[in-house]
Amino acid sequence: MSVAAPPLHAPALPAPRRSARREEIRRYARAYARSASSMAGLVIVAVFVVVAAIGPWIVPYPEDGRGAVNLDRKLQPPSAAHWFGTDEVGNDVYTRVILGARVSLQIGLIITVVAALVGVPLGIVAGHVGGKVGETIMRVTDVFLSVPALMLALAVVGALGPGILNAMIALSLVWWPGYVRLVQAKTLALGQETFVEAARARGAGRARIVLVHLLPNCVSPIVVKASMDMGTAILAAASLGFIGLGAQPPYPEWGAMISHGRNYLPTWWWYSAFPGLAIYFTVLGFNLVGDGLRDLLDPKSRA
Amino acid sequence: MKTARRLLLSLLTLALVTTLAAAPAPAFERVGDKKILVFAGRQEVPTIDPSVKYDWSIRMMQQALYDGLVKYVGNPPEIVPWLAERWEASPDARTWTFHLVKNARFHNGDPVTAEAVRWSFARTLKLNQGPAWMLSDFLKEDGIKVVNEHTIQFTLTQPYAPFLSFVPWWYVMNPKQVLAHEEGGDLGQKWLTSNAAGSGPFKIKRWQQGVLYELEAVDNYWKGWPSKDRVGGVIYKLVREAAAQRAALIRGEADIVEGLSADDYDQVGKMPGIVVPNFPGMTTFGLKMNTQKAPTSDLNLRRAVAHAFDYDALIKIYNGNAALQTSPFPNATRGHVAVPGFPRQDLAKAREFLAKSAYPSGGIELEYVYVQGLEEERKMGLVLIDNLGKLNIKVKMVPLTWPNMVARGSKADSSPDLLAIFATPVSTDPDAVAYQYHKNSWGKYYGSHFYQNADVWGLIERARTLAKWEERAPLYAEIQRRIAADVPEVFGMLANRRWGMRDHVKGFQFSPVRFTGEVDLYPLAIVAK
Amino acid sequence: MAFLGLMLFGLLCLTFAVSHVMPGDPARLAAGPDANESMVATLRAKYGLDRPLGVQFVRYLGGVVTGDLGQSLRSRNAVLEDLLRYFPNTFELVTLALLLAVVIGVPLGMVSAVYQNTWIDHAARVVSVSGVALPAFWLGLMLQFLVALHLGWLPLGGRLGLTAMPPEPITHLLFIDALLRGEWRTFADAAAHAVLPVVTLCFPALASIMRVNRAEMLETLRQDYIVTARAQGFSGFRVVTRYALRNAMIPTLSMIGLRYGWMLGGTVLVETVFDWPGIGLYAVNAAVSSDFQPVMGVTLLIGLNFMLANLLVDLAYGWLDPRIRRPA
Repeated sequence: MSVAAPPLHAPALPAPRRSARREEIRRYARAYARSASSMAGLVIVAVFVVVAAIGPWIVPYPEDGRGAVNLDRKLQPPSAAHWFGTDEVGNDVYTRVILGARVSLQIGLIITVVAALVGVPLGIVAGHVGGKVGETIMRVTDVFLSVPALMLALAVVGALGPGILNAMIALSLVWWPGYVRLVQAKTLALGQETFVEAARARGAGRARIVLVHLLPNCVSPIVVKASMDMGTAILAAASLGFIGLGAQPPYPEWGAMISHGRNYLPTWWWYSAFPGLAIYFTVLGFNLVGDGLRDLLDPKSRA
Repeated sequence: MKTARRLLLSLLTLALVTTLAAAPAPAFERVGDKKILVFAGRQEVPTIDPSVKYDWSIRMMQQALYDGLVKYVGNPPEIVPWLAERWEASPDARTWTFHLVKNARFHNGDPVTAEAVRWSFARTLKLNQGPAWMLSDFLKEDGIKVVNEHTIQFTLTQPYAPFLSFVPWWYVMNPKQVLAHEEGGDLGQKWLTSNAAGSGPFKIKRWQQGVLYELEAVDNYWKGWPSKDRVGGVIYKLVREAAAQRAALIRGEADIVEGLSADDYDQVGKMPGIVVPNFPGMTTFGLKMNTQKAPTSDLNLRRAVAHAFDYDALIKIYNGNAALQTSPFPNATRGHVAVPGFPRQDLAKAREFLAKSAYPSGGIELEYVYVQGLEEERKMGLVLIDNLGKLNIKVKMVPLTWPNMVARGSKADSSPDLLAIFATPVSTDPDAVAYQYHKNSWGKYYGSHFYQNADVWGLIERARTLAKWEERAPLYAEIQRRIAADVPEVFGMLANRRWGMRDHVKGFQFSPVRFTGEVDLYPLAIVAK
Repeated sequence: MAFLGLMLFGLLCLTFAVSHVMPGDPARLAAGPDANESMVATLRAKYGLDRPLGVQFVRYLGGVVTGDLGQSLRSRNAVLEDLLRYFPNTFELVTLALLLAVVIGVPLGMVSAVYQNTWIDHAARVVSVSGVALPAFWLGLMLQFLVALHLGWLPLGGRLGLTAMPPEPITHLLFIDALLRGEWRTFADAAAHAVLPVVTLCFPALASIMRVNRAEMLETLRQDYIVTARAQGFSGFRVVTRYALRNAMIPTLSMIGLRYGWMLGGTVLVETVFDWPGIGLYAVNAAVSSDFQPVMGVTLLIGLNFMLANLLVDLAYGWLDPRIRRPA
């Protein structure tokens, strides 16, 4: 999802003293706040997280998220009572969109975290240890990367059977190789840096080099990638939902809602329009934050 | 900026030009003086081999390209002579003799002979696919005898009254033509996938897999044509989206569409130039309950579920275009009787039954399995969650692809608590439905209830071997009552069959024994205004 | 080449493994709903599904080598035949979308970099972030809703009009065949049907191409030699197109290569929305009915394409940047 060439990063130094660290963070925060688009992204993400957290308590028709049926009020256009209209069994679309935020947040977090947890260690091993093991890891990674993630996920979910859990498994399964690539390239580059070689010369153990010198310096690219991936993972899960292989009813998942709503276009357009907007803004938010972080942590594009 | 503006401009121009070029097509296609009917359907026609497979779209094509000995026509469906002008059964319903018409010809000019009939039936039995199951338990290859060029006799391994009701689906192929295209002993399977060797009212003109299938009327069809305005051909165009089908119908690009949502049918039905034929169907929708595995093995729980279900919601989902089942048998099935006291929503009663069950206060979760992507079944699941919630019973919706669902339902210990099943009986004989409750149906998709009642099985077995309807009828009445009492499923409804048609399409003949969506193309005509 | 072979083998292992964790029974699918056990068994034997997994894998490998990708259990067609039938459609869609993305994305990135931090830049960046964030399937639906259904300007979906007759195949690429045969109506019809899917598919690619091109242009424009060239009075336009763009094209190119692969994956969604008879729609239809051979075939084909695209990008690299040119 990110640019092919792994970005270069600030000159890697061993962890600085704590107060200096705090000062640096403050500096970064100020720099981040200067960018309007980054702040907009932050606001969107903040709203999204808050909505995900308190959604069930603020929606007008909480029972509609669990799949109530009110056929008497089906397919009604947006109104004061139903801001986003109602769907084909009379559920309030607004309620379901709000509740969908929580589902999407879960999906995004789980996929990103699992992918990073699998990918980062493998990447460090491949980049730092190298040899046959590293070679094998990279070849397997390449195979995975040779098929677009969505296609592979489609095949996996097709095999496992549709469902939110299977969709998450499938997406995690195809998501980690990106991290391996990123971290491996980074570790490889760092390995040649003088400070790492100096540490090695001083007789520092492998574990120490990895934990003290390599990992902290990989954090910023990982954070940038992860914040971007939150968006793309949500998008991918929604895509599976749209195809019909992701979340299943009555689960309020945006992609699945669009998929069902599509049968009711054009007359009952609100059914698929609003969940789509929700996806758009969420992914946009994470992308803007990711962009902002990249500008900040990646001096190459820092103006 | 200039570049961008120029680009935008040229894009818009392109859009405009192409739009003008793709102006709406006329109401129906004309080729010379022939009127071609355009059918926009959602389902592919992957094969038309009569021995290999059937579903609604496949069979619509098979019925157009091939003839059977007899044919289902009308509502209620009747079996009328076709390649066979008459037939007789022995008093014990074991030996069936068909006398063929003498003027029937295959498309290549060969006469349709008794030998061709024998060969076709034998081929289907040998390949053991498609419709083979209908007769394979009673008919063996050596039981088919050519008496003379125009007479064929079937001797069954045991008496079987419903035999005739399956015969319309066994189409007759031209053995000479098929065998000329045989590859590696495949009995022509590869060739017949997209070629036909039939005698039917239509023959193939174009066959573009996954895109469009075009049939051409046979001008000198041996049986003649019912209308002087008959169509000159039919284009079956694959349109996979309901919205696109709808749009094509409204614009007059398609003459017939199927598979729209209930709301869509209501809408297009009000538009000028469009009619929506609306007939009670024979396809039952029910929730099969696993009668052998807890918790649904508990009769009182099953009764509670059956009385908690909101049957009116079923009707509402179809905007009123459905009828509730009044017996385990569809209304159009011969011998159907309305069973007194058939379950309807009654929460007080449901709670009563629940109290008598092993789960007096609910607190259980039932699994509802349905076919992935089937919109109506999904809605029923939502209804179920709502209804059973009132009994403190949770419902977990599990959509599965068809093969996975059938796999789940094939064993009593894995068959789900509730399985949503649309079932269209392939014949109008009550045996076709009754047998779904026989032990031999266990494990099939409609047998996922694993219903156990030796008395009922005995009645079913006896009724199918009797030749006289007067003797069979009371048995089937009894069978319906007994099955209903055991509540192996929540008997739901029969959805109406609907199509969207341009009003210049005439001659449409509905027959409930055909599948949902399937249209008999033979009687269709186009009368231009 | 050996590397490519190894990758292919890996891919085959992957697709095979994925498709064989399936819980259902594919033979049942092929046999149809009413089939009895004996009929299912007949088909299981016919397709070799009753053999041990190892044997099935060896068979599969042998088949792939000889061009046999198995059979679709739903349609009984050979998967290879199906792929050959549907792939040209996907290829046309992806190529057109990619072309459009490059034609718009590269100049947009360039303009955006040259006018950095002006409203032009901001507008272009909004397009760019939106392109990545908009769900392609939703964008497609909304375009259908607005342009096709509401305004009625363009057809809703499909490759050609309902009853249009495609030209006799020469290249199997519909546009080219229509041109070669001089069938202008068909060409226009095909173009009308292609507009919305191409636009939908091109949007995310356009966004990332623009984004990369902009970043690289910014970088290059700050380089000493450009600054010098500008100082020496070379016209801005010439410097930008002649030197900066050429430099910026290298990473952009790798993005294009990457995007080609992503687009092949993205067609799954776009083809589903627009009923475009390509391999994406084919794969989705197969996947939702557990028909695993076609899914394997499509995955393999896309993987192969992706690898080839990367290879081409590597070659183009050397051409654009003499420093990377390897000894032959």
